[in-house]
Amino acid sequence: MKIRRASAAVAAVATGALLLSACSSPASDDQPETEETTAAEETADTEEITDSCKVDTGVTESADGEIQYSAGEVQWAGYNGNLPDTYSTYNSVVNDRMIGGFMYFGVDGTVCQDEEYGSFEAVSEDPLQVQYTLADDATWSDGTPITYADYLLDWATQAVTVDGTITEDASEEPLFNNVSGLTLGDYVPEGPQADSADAKSFQYDYERVYADWQLNVSGAFPAHVVAEQAGVTVEELVTAIEELDMSVLEPAAEFWNTGWLSSTPGELPDPALVPVSGPYMLKEDGWIAGQSITLTENENYWGTPPATKELTFRFAAADTHVQALQNGDLDVIEPQATVDTIPQLEQIGSSVEVLTGQTLIWEHLDYNFGDSSVFADNLAAREAFAYCVPRQKIVDDLIAPIDENAVVMNAREVFPYQTEKYEEVTAESYDGRYDEVDLEMATEKFAEAGLEEGTEIRIGYSAPNPRRADEVAAIKSSCDQVGFNIVDAGDPEFFAAGGALETGDWEIALFAWAGSGQIASGQNIYASGRPQNFGGYSNETVDEAWETLASTVDESVHLEQTKVIESELWDTLYGIPLFAHPGVVAHSADLENVRFTAAQDGIVWNAEQWSRAS
Amino acid sequence: MLKFILRRLGISFLVLWAASLLIFVLTINAGDPLADLRESNAENRESLMALRTEQMGLDLPWYERYWEWLSGVGGCFTGSCDLGTTVNGANVLDLTAQAAGSTLRLVTLATLLAIVVGIAAGIVSAIRQYTGFDYGVTFLAFLFFSLPVFWAAVLLKEYGAIRFNDWIASGDMEPPMILGFALVAAAIIPAVLGGPWRRRLYTGAATFTFVAVLLYVLNVLDWYRNPFFGLAMVLLTSLGAAVLVTALVAGLGNRRVLYAALTTAVVGTLSYLVFAGVLLEPTWLQLIGLFVLAIVVSIAIGAAWGGYARKQAMFISAVTGVITSGVIVFDILVAHWAGFLELKSRPISTIGSQTPNFSGDFWESVLDSGMQLILPTIVLTLVSVASYSRYTRSSMLEVMNQDYVRTARSKGLSERAVITKHAFRNALIPITTIVAFDFAGLIGGAVITERVFGWKGMGAMFQEGLDRVDPDPVMAFFLVTGTAAVLMNMLADIAYAYLDPRIRR
Repeated sequence: MKIRRASAAVAAVATGALLLSACSSPASDDQPETEETTAAEETADTEEITDSCKVDTGVTESADGEIQYSAGEVQWAGYNGNLPDTYSTYNSVVNDRMIGGFMYFGVDGTVCQDEEYGSFEAVSEDPLQVQYTLADDATWSDGTPITYADYLLDWATQAVTVDGTITEDASEEPLFNNVSGLTLGDYVPEGPQADSADAKSFQYDYERVYADWQLNVSGAFPAHVVAEQAGVTVEELVTAIEELDMSVLEPAAEFWNTGWLSSTPGELPDPALVPVSGPYMLKEDGWIAGQSITLTENENYWGTPPATKELTFRFAAADTHVQALQNGDLDVIEPQATVDTIPQLEQIGSSVEVLTGQTLIWEHLDYNFGDSSVFADNLAAREAFAYCVPRQKIVDDLIAPIDENAVVMNAREVFPYQTEKYEEVTAESYDGRYDEVDLEMATEKFAEAGLEEGTEIRIGYSAPNPRRADEVAAIKSSCDQVGFNIVDAGDPEFFAAGGALETGDWEIALFAWAGSGQIASGQNIYASGRPQNFGGYSNETVDEAWETLASTVDESVHLEQTKVIESELWDTLYGIPLFAHPGVVAHSADLENVRFTAAQDGIVWNAEQWSRAS
Repeated sequence: MLKFILRRLGISFLVLWAASLLIFVLTINAGDPLADLRESNAENRESLMALRTEQMGLDLPWYERYWEWLSGVGGCFTGSCDLGTTVNGANVLDLTAQAAGSTLRLVTLATLLAIVVGIAAGIVSAIRQYTGFDYGVTFLAFLFFSLPVFWAAVLLKEYGAIRFNDWIASGDMEPPMILGFALVAAAIIPAVLGGPWRRRLYTGAATFTFVAVLLYVLNVLDWYRNPFFGLAMVLLTSLGAAVLVTALVAGLGNRRVLYAALTTAVVGTLSYLVFAGVLLEPTWLQLIGLFVLAIVVSIAIGAAWGGYARKQAMFISAVTGVITSGVIVFDILVAHWAGFLELKSRPISTIGSQTPNFSGDFWESVLDSGMQLILPTIVLTLVSVASYSRYTRSSMLEVMNQDYVRTARSKGLSERAVITKHAFRNALIPITTIVAFDFAGLIGGAVITERVFGWKGMGAMFQEGLDRVDPDPVMAFFLVTGTAAVLMNMLADIAYAYLDPRIRR
């Protein structure tokens, strides 16, 4: 049976009409625009910047335009990024652009002072007294000067307990949900001291020396907003903090804990509540739920204006970033540093520039000193293992394809890219004995340790992690020749409560520590009985050195003690450092002043200096 | 019927409750909510862990945590809904509303398109069983069905976004491109129309010439960057659609229906002139109002022309009205394309549901979000089309072989009447179930599509929640998708009763 012919023909004509309609009346006579060439010229700024802090880029005025970046798919959560709920990379990439501070981390993790914001110095080292001075013209974007009151409140959020007392040992329940806990109050029980609430200069008297004092105070939240919300003046708030008047502090804390939380995505807080002290501020209607948040120039900023007027953070999953960069939807990306990423980025061509380097995250193998482990009380066994781990091969095969400058890491407290310090420390603490695989030596030590052929070594790590699986495979192919039997004990639950790490079912743990730029944080890892000393290592020399290091602010002592610690950790083999994780950044070639940084702030650390070449 | 619906609702409620318990327990045991803190070396790690433990109630037994959630949800019946908060302190109720909104935007169009295209392809391939077209559709259906979404999405971004944007910068079609398109059209159209080889050859040659010349002319006119459509084209297209719809549904012999449809097309085009002022800078409300008005007027025209075929005339007029409205919108969008390109030189982004800080007028913003809809919609449609076309084909074939269809034919009914009136309607019955299930599934099942295209929808909420072992967003996801599944199933049952007289009581 066929559709009747006449109807079929008409239907065909009708279809034709539908198709025809794609045709058009003549359009305007404009010539087609000349094709835009995306090829970038050779960038002139090839000269290396040696200063690890920000350098002056000569910006005097903010240029119109928008730069887009994405840290990942997690949305912005609120102005107060110091709450446990909101404290995340995703939030701080945005908030750090809005809240200025005394210090920031330079590209190699050194502490830099932001001189436009203010300055600080230790006026006395023991007892430790630190003097902070704000710039005279430092004001919030609503015109209120930034003063002592803001820093007193900042201290109070890290000192006052829920019972209305100053913390004794930082273990009480705090009144303010500050993610930093009560550490500052523990060290500085008196709080910062100044002449008046609107003083620009104030001093912190430390009760005992704190090696990482430089990181303790940086930015602050506006006290005048908190005071207003608590129904008092700024002076009254200052008095209330000094006198621990809970009738004022409780409503203040209530606001601090909840009032700056944006719990409905897309709804920006009232601009009056969120004045800023940095170069950028929230743009009106700039937050589209689930999509992006835009910052715009803070026109009342007293310092160098941001190079580009608008900065947009898009909430997009990391695996979409490379194509988004290629299509111009993002201007700067930090893709996952895998072996596949680099060729993928290079394929895009000259419209994109790729920066690689090392980060503050470093991978290491740690021995288990627990009773069940063959490595406990057996230095020869640890040495046998150390001699057979192919560290150079691991770096060459897995890391060098990403960052060609990658090297084997021979220290724990300093990083290879902190060149001078690293060389000084390693020169004294490590003689290069584990640089190359030495199977003969390993076999000798293996025998000396009295281990049986086929001794099982479980290398535990948090799976799935293809790179670590490859590392274990490389170790296995080398160390099995010595007599070990390496077992890949990767497990998603490795770090979980009740997981293998806790129960001690491992001989070697393979994981990474994220360096925080702190000087004394390693004490928790290497000193006896500390919470992050997972393997149960204990060594008097090391303990003592850490005590000395942590109780002074003298940098030469820090360096000396670091040498002592490193060399003892090498001699007694706490573990074996492998490499600093590589990092990859790519940006559109027309952007200038994008600088790779090892520090945890990520590439946005100098976002206010990014500018588009005109 | 009411009793049936109530009973179904009661049972569904119990099922939802039991499932919520199961999902909750599975979620809170899905991993370690403190994992990120365990590897941190912050000084106050312990107190941070304690804070989160308290916040999420990790120290409570599972039944207490479940009860807390359940009582919050119970509040929805008394007007104080509380679906909890995420680990980041976001309100889950607001989050769900936003996520559901964006998912619905994504899924609705895809589902409609998939239904139309899938069923059409299914019917045509059933009618042209064992022809090249049928094999082609079958091949493509299996290809799409087994397509890994993330891979297809990456390819689409490469060709549909990046390369397209590169191309539109000049908007110049190279001869091989034109010939390629013409060849594809020349292969498909004769296959659909069928007939002996000679006829196919002629249609193929005609199509090829037509498409090639058309594309060439558009190229010369720089149409892709400065497109123009015009009132005459709107009228012509609407009239064409009127004739086509009539031919398919009522047959062109039915003059009253044909005239009704044609009148609708003309009136619709004229109304474009009348409402031009509003249409240039409308609000969504005005637009919807005009659309409703268009349908009402179309139905009235159908009723006036209808006579003995009143019902059919009203239906066809309404369809013509909808198509004419669509053509008018298309014309307006085409007119705004050049302006849009100026605002956004790379029109299709690879991520996001809209361009941040886009500063266009109403229609330019529509173009912006419309462009962002294209790629994910294609992905979702391809996958659904595959299954719809297969199901339609088989159910159509089954119906076509039944006795009553042979009876209808032997009565002397036209093939069109046999297919659209007797066979198609019955073939639709099994499809309804699948469509209903599929829609409910898509709401929650577009996880990968949403993620790859940077849409914050239900899927993203679910995934983020599960990653952080955060039960509240996962449960909100479950509530929405679970309820959708239950409701959609019920709708399918009701649609059954409507489509199948045997179970209508």
